[in-house]
Amino acid sequence: MPTSDHYVIIGNGPAGNAAAFTLRENDPDARITIISHENISFYAKPKLVRYLAGDIDKSALMVKEPDAYLQNNIRLRLGQTVMRIDLQNRCLHLAHMETVQYTRLVIASGSRARLLPSMKPYADCLTFVTEYNDIKGMREKIAAGKHFFVFGGDLVAFKFLKMLTHMKKQVTLLLYPKAFWPHTLTHAMQKTIVDNLARTGAHILVNDDLDTIVPEEQGGYNVTTQQGVKKQADLVFTFNGLIPNVDFARGCGLDIDHGILVDETMRTCLENVFACGSCAQIYNPDLTAYTTSIGWPNAVAQGKVAGLNLAGETCRVQQAGRKYFDLEGVKIKTTWWEDADREDTEGEDTDREGNDRKDADFKNTERKDVECKDTDRDRKTGEKDGR
Amino acid sequence: MKTSDKEINIVFEICGSAGEGTISAGEILSRFMSAQGFEIMSFDAYPAEIRGFGKCVAHTRVSSNPIYSPGKLADVLIALNDNHAISQLSALKKGGILLYDSQPAKPHEEDQSVVARADAATISYGVPLTMLAQKAAGNARGRNMVALGAVTALFHLDRDAFTNSIKDRYGKKKQIVIDSNVNSFLEGFDWTKENIDKADGISFQGVTPPQTKAEQKGEKLIINGNQLVAKAALDADLKFYAGYPITPATKIMEILSKELPKHGGTLLQTEDEISAIGAVIGAGYGGIRAMTGTSGPGFALMTEFTGLSVMAEVPAVIIDSQRGGPSTGIPTKTEQSDFNAAMFGGTGDCPRVVLAPTDTTSCYDATVLALYLAEKYQTLVVILLDFFLSNSIRNIDVPQKPAPKMLNANIAPDAADLDGYQRYKITDSGISPRTIPGTPGGMFFATGLEHDAYGRPNYTDKGHLAMTAKRFRKHASVLAEAPAPVISGMDAGGADSGMGSGMGSSVGSSKGIPDKDGTPKTLDIGVISWGSSAGAAHEAVMTAAGEGVSAAAFSSMMLSPFPEKQLAAFAGRCRKILIPELNYGGQFADFVTKIIKRPVERLNFITGRPMAAEDIVEKIREMI
Repeated sequence: MPTSDHYVIIGNGPAGNAAAFTLRENDPDARITIISHENISFYAKPKLVRYLAGDIDKSALMVKEPDAYLQNNIRLRLGQTVMRIDLQNRCLHLAHMETVQYTRLVIASGSRARLLPSMKPYADCLTFVTEYNDIKGMREKIAAGKHFFVFGGDLVAFKFLKMLTHMKKQVTLLLYPKAFWPHTLTHAMQKTIVDNLARTGAHILVNDDLDTIVPEEQGGYNVTTQQGVKKQADLVFTFNGLIPNVDFARGCGLDIDHGILVDETMRTCLENVFACGSCAQIYNPDLTAYTTSIGWPNAVAQGKVAGLNLAGETCRVQQAGRKYFDLEGVKIKTTWWEDADREDTEGEDTDREGNDRKDADFKNTERKDVECKDTDRDRKTGEKDGR
Repeated sequence: MKTSDKEINIVFEICGSAGEGTISAGEILSRFMSAQGFEIMSFDAYPAEIRGFGKCVAHTRVSSNPIYSPGKLADVLIALNDNHAISQLSALKKGGILLYDSQPAKPHEEDQSVVARADAATISYGVPLTMLAQKAAGNARGRNMVALGAVTALFHLDRDAFTNSIKDRYGKKKQIVIDSNVNSFLEGFDWTKENIDKADGISFQGVTPPQTKAEQKGEKLIINGNQLVAKAALDADLKFYAGYPITPATKIMEILSKELPKHGGTLLQTEDEISAIGAVIGAGYGGIRAMTGTSGPGFALMTEFTGLSVMAEVPAVIIDSQRGGPSTGIPTKTEQSDFNAAMFGGTGDCPRVVLAPTDTTSCYDATVLALYLAEKYQTLVVILLDFFLSNSIRNIDVPQKPAPKMLNANIAPDAADLDGYQRYKITDSGISPRTIPGTPGGMFFATGLEHDAYGRPNYTDKGHLAMTAKRFRKHASVLAEAPAPVISGMDAGGADSGMGSGMGSSVGSSKGIPDKDGTPKTLDIGVISWGSSAGAAHEAVMTAAGEGVSAAAFSSMMLSPFPEKQLAAFAGRCRKILIPELNYGGQFADFVTKIIKRPVERLNFITGRPMAAEDIVEKIREMI
């Protein structure tokens, strides 16, 4: 591969970083650029809740500091937003009107908070806990506040609720059955969850929906549900799942459903464009369907596959270590490449909280989640093992 | 000086192309910060070409504490022009803040945007400067005001007060101009507040400016060295200025061309610098206070006439605002490389007085003192400014007007002297009573030839020796009434050694570098500096002292004659000596070495930028 080739990775999360560093490991001369709209280096999103609680400081959020990219000759463009992909001319149009040429592209743009259509009128009243940008200045507000309203019910919501109640805050949770998108919680599931969360002391509302959120002049909000429950809250948080962050790629010619459609090699419909992580929908030959996946280990595994294939290999993603989430006693299967009939509940709820494994050293990550059909690849691996 | 609990110390840089309002934006920012009660130090870098689209940088340091140097690296870079700002990124601190135009008029090629070239640690904020300016005023001229609006929102500055600063700045313009600028500012403010997710920790919220500043709000001068020189000259009864325009001294002449006639004086723009100094000597001979201003190339041309001033004992003041040299050199960059030329330039044994202000405030003191000394000692006085001192803007206390004795210094002959009047009478002080032409009985020869006491040509060895010695004796007399050198640093008890009365103890009251020497009797490091590097030296030793290093700084506005005894005494207390200066080899270091007769460490830069305290601190750390 000529060294002048430019490998551009959109996204600075676990998938993007895995792709970049795997590529660097396999091609010391590759010109690699990561572009991220966030103004912060690689950090662990799952730790944001602990950061908000004041358990950890910003440095503990960080997975990789900018120096790590310098040392690996990976260019990091932070605070730069990709607006459009021009597949014909192989270039990206950035928000500040710069174009960036690529030879091969990896889209690892992750996911963004899901704003329910019914909540759009109240978007300005809602606080998200999806990325670092969302929560700047929030630590102090949480520390100072007393009453909080949590709307939704995904994994982060429950963790956040526990954190708030642990801090002796008054919390109301309105459990929304479709919060764990794309799954819908059944009544039985909701009951299990409510039973498990009851011990936190939070006031939990079910079978209800938000009606209005009215900001108060002196700060805070008045929340009213459709069942007529009225609550005053210092902040209203929403946790209704994540959706692939692919708006910038729509209309460019890539096949996109919810996420960007890729095969098991993380290739899109175009040979030189890859997608991985939670922005991708990966084809499962057993299910004969495209399915999104979430979780840090999945993202890393997919990023590694993308990185290897960028380097000229032909690898397929196999399986991640975690396949089920424990949603307050409810097991929800989220990974797609496992045989649909097999039941494997190992790993449980640490998946979305995969930050606890400081999983940035991709060089040392076991390769069991990647299968390379390329014999040359096997030979290379053997050489490495023999070192 | 009382400081607030929350302190602030920020360096802003605005970078754009000539004509984009870069310098104006920097000036407005500086004036606003000063009006808010903060200490400021700012300077501009701009292209030498009169016309063109070169790079401009407005550099402003803002602090809630006293500041003595401009700061080496910027905390915030505001890019009005991506092409130029790319080259300015090297002056942005690691982890610094970049504010750029996120929707420029023309698309960027790959890597041609400033944000693309920013270090990964840089916190970048994209604000649609062009789009918002268009929205506010129908054209892009207000991009600089949009940027200031963004800065105001981003760092929690007082929006209304800033708006008033803009109105003040454009108060004399048409209403449409004021409205355009204010609207652009407000667009930038509102957009940023609405759209930018702040990722940095800089905030002026809760920062109380120094109390003394707040108390004295409205009694401050926001002024640069050139303006202060002109003001001082007028206050010191200057009556004649001759000059030929040259960067960075031109502004002095510009100001005086308007103001001097109002004070009963005359300004003459000559055909070159030789004529200018000739006219000044002529005016001095005529008995009025006269001055010229130039830079290195002009000073070189004046050299022959400087000898005449000394030999004929005619008062003359030359301001040499140094720039990068030799020859035409680098007109808009600062340097301290005319030291040797000012101290020793010319032929023969030619004792002259050389003063070097160490900060903006002392530009006033030095000018008053120069006119006084030239008149009293009937000799040449050179003031060594530099590009940085000439152009850097400070907010300072209004200087006290010179004492009456500083305005009338000529020692006139009494009736006995006029009996057989000896214009060049041999005296202990070296000063011979001087008549002004037209004084009955006071007629004399004035010549560049060596002469006797009457002014008549005299080439005898004894006569030449006597007259040379007489001229040199003036040095001792000058030194006796010169401001003492400043020794500053952390005192032995660990506190800042206090605020003294500044450099010009006898001529002004402006506050400058603290000059009460309470520093320990023995020091690890002594930093000896001159001119505009002295502020950085003082700040550096304070920083070093904070790190446990026993260090102090020595500087003297009086370069010739030099306070050698005080220098030797200071050097004797120092284990090691460091001399930072802005020239290639260390002209001042050579001079000092001859006095203290021991080796010194040198720190020399010819980058065109002012001396940075950070560089001196780094050198001190190396030396320890």
